[in-house]
Amino acid sequence: MAVRANPELIDDLERFGAKDAIKCYQCGNCSAACSHSDDPYVFPRQSMRYLQMGLEKPLRSALDPWLCYYCGKCSEQCPRGAEPGETMMGMRRWLTSEYDFTGISRLLYRSWGAELATILTVALLTGIGFLTFGFLGGGGNLSVYDGPSAFLPPHAIHVFDWTMGIILALLLSINCIRMWHFTMRNERAVPVSLSLYASFLLLLPVHFFTQKRFRHCENKTPWTNHLILMLSYLTMLTLIMVFLKEMQSGPQINWYAHTFGYLSAIGLVGTSIFAIQGRIKKDAAYHRHSHESDWMFLGLLLFVSVTGIVQHILHRAGLPMAANITYIVHLMGVVPMLALEVPFSKWSHLAYRPLAIYFAQLQQAAQAEGATPFGRPAKPQPVA
Amino acid sequence: MRESVNQIRKRSVESKAETVTTSSAARIGVFLLREGNDASAVLDFPSIADFAAQLPDVSVVRTIAVSSAMDPEKLAIEIKEATLNTIVLAANHPGFYKPAFSRALALAGGDGSQIRLASFGERGDGVSTKRAKGLITCAVQGVPFKPNPTHVAATFNTATLVIGGGVAGIQAALEIAESGHKVYLVERTGTIGGRMAMFDKTFPTLDCAACILTPKMVAVSQNANIELLVLSEVQEVSGGFGQFQVKVLKHATRVDSDACVACGDCARFCPVTTASEFDMGIATRKGIFIPFPQAVPNTYMIDPAYCTWVLSDGKKCGACAKKCSKGAVHLDAKDETVELEVGNIIVATGYDALDARRVERYGYGTYPNVLNSLEFERLTNASGPTGGKIVMKTKKLNKKTKHEEWVFEPDGPKPKAVAIIHCVGSRDKNYNAYCSRVCCMYSLKFAHLVREKLPEAKCYEYYIDMRAFGKGYEEFHERIREEGVSLVRGRSATVTDRDGQLYIHGEDTLAEHLITLPVDMVLLSVGLQPSHGSDELAEKLCIPRDGDGWFRELNYNSEPNTTQREGIYVAGVCQGPKDIPDTVAQASAAAAHALRSIVGAEARQRAAALQTTLEAAALAARS
Repeated sequence: MAVRANPELIDDLERFGAKDAIKCYQCGNCSAACSHSDDPYVFPRQSMRYLQMGLEKPLRSALDPWLCYYCGKCSEQCPRGAEPGETMMGMRRWLTSEYDFTGISRLLYRSWGAELATILTVALLTGIGFLTFGFLGGGGNLSVYDGPSAFLPPHAIHVFDWTMGIILALLLSINCIRMWHFTMRNERAVPVSLSLYASFLLLLPVHFFTQKRFRHCENKTPWTNHLILMLSYLTMLTLIMVFLKEMQSGPQINWYAHTFGYLSAIGLVGTSIFAIQGRIKKDAAYHRHSHESDWMFLGLLLFVSVTGIVQHILHRAGLPMAANITYIVHLMGVVPMLALEVPFSKWSHLAYRPLAIYFAQLQQAAQAEGATPFGRPAKPQPVA
Repeated sequence: MRESVNQIRKRSVESKAETVTTSSAARIGVFLLREGNDASAVLDFPSIADFAAQLPDVSVVRTIAVSSAMDPEKLAIEIKEATLNTIVLAANHPGFYKPAFSRALALAGGDGSQIRLASFGERGDGVSTKRAKGLITCAVQGVPFKPNPTHVAATFNTATLVIGGGVAGIQAALEIAESGHKVYLVERTGTIGGRMAMFDKTFPTLDCAACILTPKMVAVSQNANIELLVLSEVQEVSGGFGQFQVKVLKHATRVDSDACVACGDCARFCPVTTASEFDMGIATRKGIFIPFPQAVPNTYMIDPAYCTWVLSDGKKCGACAKKCSKGAVHLDAKDETVELEVGNIIVATGYDALDARRVERYGYGTYPNVLNSLEFERLTNASGPTGGKIVMKTKKLNKKTKHEEWVFEPDGPKPKAVAIIHCVGSRDKNYNAYCSRVCCMYSLKFAHLVREKLPEAKCYEYYIDMRAFGKGYEEFHERIREEGVSLVRGRSATVTDRDGQLYIHGEDTLAEHLITLPVDMVLLSVGLQPSHGSDELAEKLCIPRDGDGWFRELNYNSEPNTTQREGIYVAGVCQGPKDIPDTVAQASAAAAHALRSIVGAEARQRAAALQTTLEAAALAARS
């Protein structure tokens, strides 16, 4: 059955950052230059072609964009300036919005005004919310930072954090199921048995924690930077989700909360500044293009990290009221950042990438076992 | 917020009736387009703009740089705001930009055909601010521009200068000389023949290049009307059409070409060995040498940069002079400058190959068996270092420098697999964005030569698009495919060396598979670029070059052989990449242009002489 073409697809992707794909003349230099491109996932040329031809369904079912780590070597060698690296990035943004069942992701990616308005609105609501809670439901006294009678008592914030976490995880999970449906249950995909799903399950945590495919890129700096950023974030997340009480049990703070807190704070601030200045200087091929969502993410991350540090400094300096106010400002950054990024924007890749690698492996294993694609049922066996 | 096209259309439809009835007077907008090339730089745009502004009926004058602001929608808004109904486009080649303005005028509700062109680039004679103003005045008033009749010098010099002795220069020189007129053929190297003399076979007929070129070369040497100046360069050009004065520096060959019989005794005793330029560095020559056996003039010459006698100020060596039985060697000969007077100049300076070291990932200059196209031409040519055998380089100890070198030896190992990569440095915005036109065809030719000389070898060709546009070219392409060459559609990404074996890595975009193939030799089909020194020559001749550095023709379609300076013509690759048939055709065309002026001048001279005779006779009859 012929595949339908959507001629508007390439214009649509422009809003997601893929502006130059039309220039590609399919020479294949990019696919040959890519250190990750390997049979049967040969990219980015084929993905560029799908985009040029408006083959929306194959593109939506594709795992290729998630197998790319944007080292930018393809864009450097491209003779047409078609920016295959950035086009793949645009495709990842588009796929994120396609997997998202709410439509929020699509809105935020296509309109930076909407994204900014959303961030500010959520921040404002967060600020008002916590301020109100602090006076009415919490400790009531802005000058108390530590202990159960703190303005923002840790046990209450703990409940808030976990509730928000579960909601976001739920949203992301639904989107992941949609991803599974698009990529694993389309006409060209082969059915995968449960035992195969089980046998490769370890791939998920391995790639999630190490991002080890990144190391195949010639330039090792992006992998290093990303690993530090990610581990710092996970550390900080663990501290907040599990050890919040210890962080507000002052004025003496636990040594491990201190150590890990400081290390992860340095990691977070350091890597975000490194990324921001890289994007400003356009020092590498993968920094030449910045979509508004890239800036918003880095901006939020830096804001959250810095306010977190300032909050700690004020606390240790014996200024609990200032620390509490900074805490609220910090939360005004944290809530929109997580609420937007995890299910609807950049951070969803923490799930989609490992899943893509897992699914790719499953497809190859199933095909090796002789499975036939959904769209092409096995030939009926002749009756003996 | 920007107005959408539909909004503009809506507004213009509504007010179209208004535009037609309220004013029948012309409201003219003059748009001066700066094209950013050499010719534009000569014009005084502010002065032209001021002049245009005070012409009758001109309401708006805009100066625009054409790299930006060619958006018809933006222009339509401007046109609508100024209620223009006529546009004058003034530029070197305004026709090129006319579509954008037609559309803009239509979008603004006007009549898209009310566009007049003031073309500075037409009619040669050089662009000037004064002429530009004249052109704009006529366009504004809607009358044709008639330039003053060309001032032809009272004495028109019927000699012609041809700069460049490749096949284009040779053809042009022969056309003019065989009509009975004098030609000076100035060539920078020691022999005429150019690139074509380096080739082994030509596409698509697989004729031997030397076999079709050398008869023309010999004709040049034997034609009394052609004065051949080799190892010579144009220093200065002054004057104008019909009366150019050209200073040419003739480097001393230090060998009397009339006495030399090219026996080669001198070279046998010469102690100096260096890389041969004619062989693109894959073979050596002596300090006294002949570029190749069929060189014209067929004489040896001394390279002063390496000659021991010259470098020691006459104290050492001098063996060649002693050994020459004809006494042809004059070691102390000096360079001389000659002054030529000519009426026309034909530029035929050809091309250089792109330096493949710029494309690092192909390993040119790093791996010994990665060659560029001209090097391979010399390798397969019977007059090359291996007598035409295709072999891999072998390591050899240079006894003089004590270093190991990779050289071509006739008994070198035969490659088992050869890969040819198209579009090296062409169609690539990182190097040259243009297509070099001949590489697809010469790559197919190489594949044929490899398969013919090495029937056991595998041959792979990596291409992006196969450009086989000429007569017999598609048939040639089919033939090569049938000869067993593997044509892979995909641009290779890398040539790498693993444990001494070269591997070429690319994507077969038709099969959608990545392929890594072991090969022994890689041929890079490098792009063409203007000959080194073209920029200086263009300045000396005061002719412009286009954005890629090729000499600019007057009009790509209708005047492809003339330049903006009357009396100076272009022939061959120096005007843009092309194959041998097109080069020869263009050379004959340039010669025809020159002959047109020469024959015209002679006719005028005869008419003037006849007039004088008749007047004298009439006077005598009356008295």
